[in-house]
Amino acid sequence: MTNPTIRLTRTVKGAGCAAKLAPGDLDRALCGLDLPVDENLIVGLERADDAGVYRISDDLALVQTIDFFPPMVDDPYCFGQIAAVNALSDIYAMGGTPKTAMNVVAFPAKSMDISILRAVIDGGLHKMREAGVVLVGGHTVEDDELKYGLAVTGFIHPGRILTKKKLRPGDRLILTKPLGTGIICTAIKGGMAGPAVTDKVIRAMATLNRDAALVMRDYPVHACTDITGFGFLGHLAEMVVDSGQGVRIRATDVPLYPEALEWAAMGLVPAGAYNNRNFRGDFVDFSRSVPQNLQDLLFDPQTSGGLLIAVDSGAASSLLDALAAQGVAGAAIVGEVVAGPREKIIVE
Amino acid sequence: MINELDCRGLACPAPVLQAKEVLEKDAPDCLTVIVDNEAAWQNVSRFLEYRNFQVSIEKSGHDFRVVGTRTGEDVVAADNKPAPEPAAGERHNKKILVMVTTDRIGHGDDKLGAGLLINFLKTLKEMGPDLWCLVLLNSGVTLTAPGSAAVPILQELAGEEGVRILVCGTCLEHYKLLDKKQVGETTNMLDIVTGMQLADSVINI
Repeated sequence: MTNPTIRLTRTVKGAGCAAKLAPGDLDRALCGLDLPVDENLIVGLERADDAGVYRISDDLALVQTIDFFPPMVDDPYCFGQIAAVNALSDIYAMGGTPKTAMNVVAFPAKSMDISILRAVIDGGLHKMREAGVVLVGGHTVEDDELKYGLAVTGFIHPGRILTKKKLRPGDRLILTKPLGTGIICTAIKGGMAGPAVTDKVIRAMATLNRDAALVMRDYPVHACTDITGFGFLGHLAEMVVDSGQGVRIRATDVPLYPEALEWAAMGLVPAGAYNNRNFRGDFVDFSRSVPQNLQDLLFDPQTSGGLLIAVDSGAASSLLDALAAQGVAGAAIVGEVVAGPREKIIVE
Repeated sequence: MINELDCRGLACPAPVLQAKEVLEKDAPDCLTVIVDNEAAWQNVSRFLEYRNFQVSIEKSGHDFRVVGTRTGEDVVAADNKPAPEPAAGERHNKKILVMVTTDRIGHGDDKLGAGLLINFLKTLKEMGPDLWCLVLLNSGVTLTAPGSAAVPILQELAGEEGVRILVCGTCLEHYKLLDKKQVGETTNMLDIVTGMQLADSVINI
């Protein structure tokens, strides 16, 4: 809903995770750099997982991540909530428990009232409290555009880390939140989205992945990631590449916002979706029955998206029931892992 | 009448919105949109096709000319129609909007009235997911001020229960609370009226 004085989304170029640097560019920047080595670094940069993991002892490791971006909604308090939830999500996707956080802030002090910054941070604090996370500090720089996020540290058992790579043939894939936030945020930015749909996606983006993460701990989950800037197929491509397996997706089973389908057909697709398709399109075979707007949605960059969970086939439906019982409504089985073709995503 | 739009240097969704404005104002049979990035030509092509134009792309240097020629009826009505209904199976909650225009309930003992209002807010979550939106107006906005016993209750409603809390900006300004508000979204009368229109029922306190 609009703030009477300023519409945050009009003050920035890219919105939310759609503002992420194109994936190919990042690979080119990092490729071949000499990275420090440490035997206790269990998950590091070369594996490109959701968060890094550093072993402290046989039963304790640190799990660390950072995420920040420009506003994708107009209300500063909601933006703060969403940015915090999005940053915390990487810890949950690894199977960890977030413990401490630091604010990362860029603020245009010359053009924006300081009360906006206060509301953003207040929104972030609200979600930190909900997640049981303490704020230990932060860093603020002056910039042309508002940006906010968190650097988060959590705890994890070194033997219970959920990476992207351990997909096994037969595993079912469960997605816990609907797709389409990038397209809907583009519509919000364009003034096309009404309050009802805006309200619906803000609520979803401001919902922690904590409950889904807690539920999956009791099930034979082999791999997990969270869906953010690279889109559903971009993150799934990382899973198939890292594991060497293939995947079949039933497009009609993928949870999504119906409004986003309509707006995708109208051309309200964020640039990030095209970047994601250019970078990962080669891994994906679409069947002819999958229309263009649905393909766009599957590449749509998500802000604070859901978890994508690979679970043993025998446990998939009971995990889905347990998720629903915990209030993770809208989760669905969207496909399965197959032995071949390797490193391919078939979308039917 | 405009037949050509120069949208170079514009990021999405601006080129689509400009094209949309031209179609709605002038209804041309032919429209060329010049853009300078891939997302923009793809999006403008999708938009023109959606509006029943045949589209061709000409690339010249760093620019793309997206040329659309009308092939059938424009579907203006189609994209101005209300948002699609939620998919089958998605639970559709009733939407209850509660208007709180005071910092106490009823007339008589003011201390009792203030206590009653706090109790009312605490009990509101029993409405469950049907409770959609809480609007605070006039002295109701003082409930969001630092030190108010309502702040933690409202924060819980906004957080765990996912209730939207809309706080009247004019009222905050009147009570000099604009930068002190602890919870809720600052809002204006248009948003409040739209909220009332969208709600299935409105409860006034």
